[in-house]
Amino acid sequence: MLSKLRDPSEKALAWLLLAPAFILIGLIVVYPIGKLIYNSFFDLRLSGGGGGALFLGLQNYADVIKDADFWNATKNTLLITLITVPGALVMGLGLALLANLPFRRKWPVRLSLLLPWALPLSFAGLIFAWFFHTEYGVVNDIVRRLGLQTEPTMWLLRPNWAFTAICLTIIWKTSSFMALILLAGLQMIPKSLYEAAEVDGANKWQQFWQITIPMLMPSIIVALIFRTITALQTFDIPYTMTRGGPGNTTETLAMLIHKTTIEYLDVGYGSTLAVGMFLLSIVVTSFYLHRVGRNA
Amino acid sequence: MKRSHLVTLALGASLVAGMASAQQTTLRVFSGGQNQRPDLMRKLFDQFQVANPGIKVDIETGGATSELQRQYLSTVLNAKDSAIDIFLIDIVNPSQYSNAGWIEPLDSYVGGTAALKPYLPVYANANVVNGKVAAMPAFADAMFMYYRKDLLEKYKLAEPKTWDELSAAAQTIQKGEGNPNLQGLSIQGAPIEGAVCTFLLPYWSAGKSFNDANGKLTLDKEAATKGMEMWLKLVDQGVMKKNIAEVTTPATVNEFKAGQVAFAINWGFAWDRFKDDADSQVKGKVGVMPLPAMAGGKSATCVGGWQWAVSSFSKSKADAAKLVQFMASPASSKFLAVEGSLLPTVESVYTDADVIKAVPWFKDAAKVVVAGRARPISARYGEVSDVVRTTTSAILARVKTPADGVAEIEGKLNRVMR
Repeated sequence: MLSKLRDPSEKALAWLLLAPAFILIGLIVVYPIGKLIYNSFFDLRLSGGGGGALFLGLQNYADVIKDADFWNATKNTLLITLITVPGALVMGLGLALLANLPFRRKWPVRLSLLLPWALPLSFAGLIFAWFFHTEYGVVNDIVRRLGLQTEPTMWLLRPNWAFTAICLTIIWKTSSFMALILLAGLQMIPKSLYEAAEVDGANKWQQFWQITIPMLMPSIIVALIFRTITALQTFDIPYTMTRGGPGNTTETLAMLIHKTTIEYLDVGYGSTLAVGMFLLSIVVTSFYLHRVGRNA
Repeated sequence: MKRSHLVTLALGASLVAGMASAQQTTLRVFSGGQNQRPDLMRKLFDQFQVANPGIKVDIETGGATSELQRQYLSTVLNAKDSAIDIFLIDIVNPSQYSNAGWIEPLDSYVGGTAALKPYLPVYANANVVNGKVAAMPAFADAMFMYYRKDLLEKYKLAEPKTWDELSAAAQTIQKGEGNPNLQGLSIQGAPIEGAVCTFLLPYWSAGKSFNDANGKLTLDKEAATKGMEMWLKLVDQGVMKKNIAEVTTPATVNEFKAGQVAFAINWGFAWDRFKDDADSQVKGKVGVMPLPAMAGGKSATCVGGWQWAVSSFSKSKADAAKLVQFMASPASSKFLAVEGSLLPTVESVYTDADVIKAVPWFKDAAKVVVAGRARPISARYGEVSDVVRTTTSAILARVKTPADGVAEIEGKLNRVMR
């Protein structure tokens, strides 16, 4: 063994060099996922008397399928993804195009792009919760000043309005991330293409659809994949804005998992819900990579 | 001095220092957020350190609300972390923590359940789990009905005894003052721990119980529905705000302090805010009274308060238990009452001359706290609280009808509290 190490073959050396990476991935990726799946087969209720874990087989999974809260949270999570990902893409593209204009001083534009991205999610949620507050919120103040209505809207106490407010906040928060990726993509497009198009008589609109969008497609797909994965994990903004309310009309899957494991101390069932979310993420992302990635 | 002597001296000094540090025990205490007054706790720890030179006490703070503190401690204790020796827990938690195996039974240190005799019954009961002393009472708290004494005098109104009387009194004041920003009554309707009390107060005041002695749910759906309908009626009458489902504990305190509320239900700590805060518009104008009852019922309030518990994972349990006994003693209770207006858990402290001199309103507070009721004691309190507060808030937001909401609470809690 020692002699082998002193004089390793190329193959052995390759394995040796890869070993730290394998160990690291094993510890931080494979082990937690394995442990999560393992826990999902047990009754691991920490409030249940301190006894050992009881093996339940697939019982937790059968319960999840019958759980109305799980389906409500899944529906909310998917809706948030379906609304906020395209919303952030459109807004992010607008911001990126704006930042790409030939300003003499570029830093104020870029700084304003970076700020929402740099703000912690829960801060953004708290700030917008104040914006949408019935009495003290700036949104109702603007609506009143515009003379649109006299009676204030209870934004966060009406299910549809609360959902809208959350989606708008998420779009505001995440579009700058989209914009940053798209801005990098925009700057890779050679100016000569636009100059040639000008010569050929193409107007700005034609240039946008025929040059900018096709050339930007790889960046758009990268941005969409990242944003979709994080949208499926939405937690902080609805948690700080509505706590899933009114009732549980804005509760997401991540919030339901947090509530089950941390509030209810039901680690077994919480793990099963987390496996559900994991599967959902895999299905959505594979579909994405398969359909969207193929067209890139 | 010879070099060898110097070496011997240095070795001797380091040995003595080593022995001293070996005898020194450091206890780490989690004392929650500002409402648990870590500043005053520190003063008591200093007294303890003087009396016990071998023990040093460090303090850790964090989490502004009971839920946040519960979440933090759940994470630390679930990991069997020995970093924290002692912590303050809400009155609703001893059962949950004890059943999870997170707190050390204190019987052998304090001499059994007899040690809880001097305390108010509600605290003695909450701290005995499965026949063992789970924790020791630190200080009490309760929901009080604060009111504007000046406004009641101005309109020659007596303290209301029922919710209907309160509604009538509030409307008289609101009409008389003609100020559209003046609320009649402020309660907590946001989905926070306070909303559990918002659900229970009218229900209890109809003479009903939420659970039996074994913790089993005994919900009277009709009475609970009437209680929630009563809150909505107060909204319709303009006594409470339309967005009551958005109101949190600090919002009630701030609005009452700004002179925008005639009656307000809040915890004991709010008294000092009304009396001492520089921006208080109601200094000297505030009264405290028992909460009104439903017609034919009896006044009831929701008891809160904090307990000292020793971690099961502490490496210095005996010293930790010693500190807990000191912190729960009548002398410490008196210190906290005089210095910080924290309500005592020992009945005799309420009548102590020094306490009455420092906080005269404790005379009235004693009646309220003694008659107070504990929220359901359950090993699965996290679930109980979440179901009740979320549904209560949804009813107050009119997303669910009172009847549907109460049926949902019963359906979900029947599985949890059996």
